[in-house]
Amino acid sequence: MTGTNQRQLEIDGISKRYGDTVAVEELSFDVRAGELFGFVGRNGAGKTTTMRIVLGVLAADRGEVRWSGRPLDFKTRRRIGYMPEERGLYPKMRIAEQLTYLGELHGMAGRDAAAAALQWLERFDLAERRNAELQTLSLGNQQRIQLAAALVFSPEVLVLDEPFAGLDPVAVDVLTEVLRERAKAGVAVIFSSHELELVERICDRVGIIDHGHLVAIGSVEDLRRGGPDRLWVDAPAAGEDWLRNVPGATVVQADGSRLLVELAPGGNDQAVLQAALRTGPVREFRLAEQSLGELFRSYIEENQQ
Amino acid sequence: MTAASPAGNSPRPLPAVVLVARREILVRLRSRTFAAFTFVMVVLVGIGIVAASLLNGPAAPAPAPAVRVGFSGGSQALEQSFESTAALVGVDVSVSDISDEAAGRAQLTAGKLDMLVTGSATAPAAAVTDAVPAMAVIALDAATQTARLSAAGLPPSAVTSVMNGVPLEHVKLPEPSSPSESTTNVLAALGVCIVLYITLGAYGQFVAQGVVEEKATRMMEILLASVRPSELLAGKVLGIGFVAMLQLAIVGSAALITVELTRGTSIPALGLGYVVAYLAWFVLGYLMYAMALAAVAVLVSRPEEVAYATAPVTVGLVFSYLLMFVALGDPTNPLIVVLSMVPPCSPILMTLRIAYGVAPLWQVFVAMVLTVAAIVGLTWVAGRTYANSALRMGTRVRFLDALSGRRST
Repeated sequence: MTGTNQRQLEIDGISKRYGDTVAVEELSFDVRAGELFGFVGRNGAGKTTTMRIVLGVLAADRGEVRWSGRPLDFKTRRRIGYMPEERGLYPKMRIAEQLTYLGELHGMAGRDAAAAALQWLERFDLAERRNAELQTLSLGNQQRIQLAAALVFSPEVLVLDEPFAGLDPVAVDVLTEVLRERAKAGVAVIFSSHELELVERICDRVGIIDHGHLVAIGSVEDLRRGGPDRLWVDAPAAGEDWLRNVPGATVVQADGSRLLVELAPGGNDQAVLQAALRTGPVREFRLAEQSLGELFRSYIEENQQ
Repeated sequence: MTAASPAGNSPRPLPAVVLVARREILVRLRSRTFAAFTFVMVVLVGIGIVAASLLNGPAAPAPAPAVRVGFSGGSQALEQSFESTAALVGVDVSVSDISDEAAGRAQLTAGKLDMLVTGSATAPAAAVTDAVPAMAVIALDAATQTARLSAAGLPPSAVTSVMNGVPLEHVKLPEPSSPSESTTNVLAALGVCIVLYITLGAYGQFVAQGVVEEKATRMMEILLASVRPSELLAGKVLGIGFVAMLQLAIVGSAALITVELTRGTSIPALGLGYVVAYLAWFVLGYLMYAMALAAVAVLVSRPEEVAYATAPVTVGLVFSYLLMFVALGDPTNPLIVVLSMVPPCSPILMTLRIAYGVAPLWQVFVAMVLTVAAIVGLTWVAGRTYANSALRMGTRVRFLDALSGRRST
C-alpha cells in the first residue's frame, strides 16, 4: 500500500475543445486522499467537462488524469463514485435494486451490494421505501438516491457535480456529514457547487475555474492571503477625507457609519487606526475577512482583465 | 488493490454482461407488458388454431348410426349370417329379435327400427325405411342366398366358395393426400411466420427503446463510468433476447397443446424438428435485427425519435413480412428462393420455406452463413456507434459520424 500522502487524484494539463469553444485548457490540479475539494466557477466555466473527463465518459484532447500516480484506466475508474450533472437513474426500477445493481457493476458481490444499498437507504432515511420505483419519489428524494448511487460501493474517490443542488436543509446537513466522514476515511472528494458559503464552510481546499482555466486554488485562508487586506472601521465622526494621509488606503464601501477600507499591498492597518482615532471615537476596528463569494468575484473580475 | 470491495471472503462479482442481462430479464419479466403481451399472443394463436381446425371441418365424417334391423319368426335364422356379411361390406347394424310382425311394424313406424325382416330364412320379406343404406339390403340378400344354397343341399364349403367376394386391393394416393391437410399446413406456416414477425418486431423495438431510455434518463453516463459500451450493448441484447425466447416457449407450448386438443392428427409444419429450426431462425433474426436497431437507436436522445431513427431497419423487417405473402402462394418463386437466403429477409422467408418443406438443406445452410456474417458485421457497427454516440445528447448523431468517431460541427 502506498502512503496516504501519495494517494491523490492528479489532473494534469487537460484540454478539451468543442469545435471552436474552449471548455478547459491546460487545467492542472490535484485532490488529495482525505480531502474535501470544492470546485467553483460560473456556469460553463468547465467544471462539468473536467469531471466528465476524470470519469472517462468524455475523452480529453490532451492531458492525463492519474490516481496514486498511475493514469486512470477503466478498472481504476470503477473505484470512483460519480454523480453526474444530469441526474440519471432508471425511473421504473425499484430503488434498492437499482443501488444493488450499481454496486455490483462496480465490482461488489450481490450480497454485499444489497447490504450496502440498504445501509445507504437507511442513512438517507429512505429504507421504508426501498421497493418503491424511483419515479414515485419526490425530486429531493430522487437526489438522495442519486447520491447513494455514488456512495454505495465505497469508492476511493468521489466526483460529485452539484450534489447539494435541490436538497432541503436537513438533507444538506446529512450530505455534509457524509462527505466529511468519507474524507476522514481517506476518500478524495471533489464536488462542484454554486453555494459558496457551504463550500467555504466544509471544504479543505477550493479551486476556482473560469473560462477553462484555474484562476485560484488553495484553502480559503490561502485565497484571502492573495487578495488585499480589508478593514471594517466604525468612526461616526469621520469626515470625507480622513484617510488622506494614509497611503494605499481607500474606502470601498459604506454601511451607515461603518466603512470598509481596502489596503493596497504593504499598506499599514495601524496607520488607518490612528487616522480613525484622530477623527473622534472608534466603535469598531477589525480585519474584514473576505467571504469565498467576495473572493470568487474578485478572482473572476481579475481574470476578465 | 481491492480496497473497493468491503469483504474479502465474499463470492466473486458477476461479469458486467451478466449483470446487465439479468437486470433486463428481471425488469421485463416483472412488467405488466410481458404478461399482457404473452397472454394476447397465446389467445391469438389459440384462436387461430381452433379457427383453422373448424374451417377444415371435422377431421373424419361422423360414423353413420347403426342400422337397426328386427327379425321375426323363421327369418331369425338369418341374423348371424346377416351380421357378418354387413360387417364385411362395412355397414354397422344392430340386430334384434321381434316377437310378432305387428309389434315389429309398430316399432318401424315409431322410428325405433329401420328394417323389419319377416317370413322364413329361405323366403324372407323385408320392410324398410328411407334410412336404410343399400349395403344393408345387399347384406340381407347375401344372407338369404347363403341360406337358400344350404337349403338346396350344397355343402358349407361350397357355399362359402360361392359366396366369397372379389378380393379388393386398396391403393393409397400419393401425398398430399387430402386438400384439407395441406391447407392446415399452410395456415400453420403462416401462423409461425406471423408470430416470428411480431416477436422480432416487438423485441427489436424493446432493444431500441431500452437503448434510448438509458440515454434519455441520463443513466448512460453513470453506466458507462463502470461498464464498457460493448458490455452494455451485449447484456441488453442478450437479456431481452432471453425474455423473447421465454415468451416464444410459452406461446409455442400453448400452440402445440391446442393442436393436440383440437385435432390429434399431426401437422407436418408443427413437428419437433421444424420447431427447433424456427427457434434457430428466431435467434438469428433477433440478433441481426436487435444489433441493427441498437446501432441506429443510440444515435438519438429522445424516446419520440426512436421510430424515426429505426425506420431504415424496420423497413427491412416489414419488407420480408410483405414478401411472405408472395411466398405463401408460390414458395418456389426464384426471387423468393434467392431472398430467403439473404439478410434482411432470410429469417422470415427461410422460416416459411422450411415450414413448407421446400427448402433444400444447402439453401438453409447458405442463409445461415450469410445471416451469421450479417450479425457479426452489425455487432461491430453497433459497437462503434454505441461507443461514439452513447453520451452525445441533443440532436441526432449522424450515422457516418458515429461510425467513424468523427464529430461534425
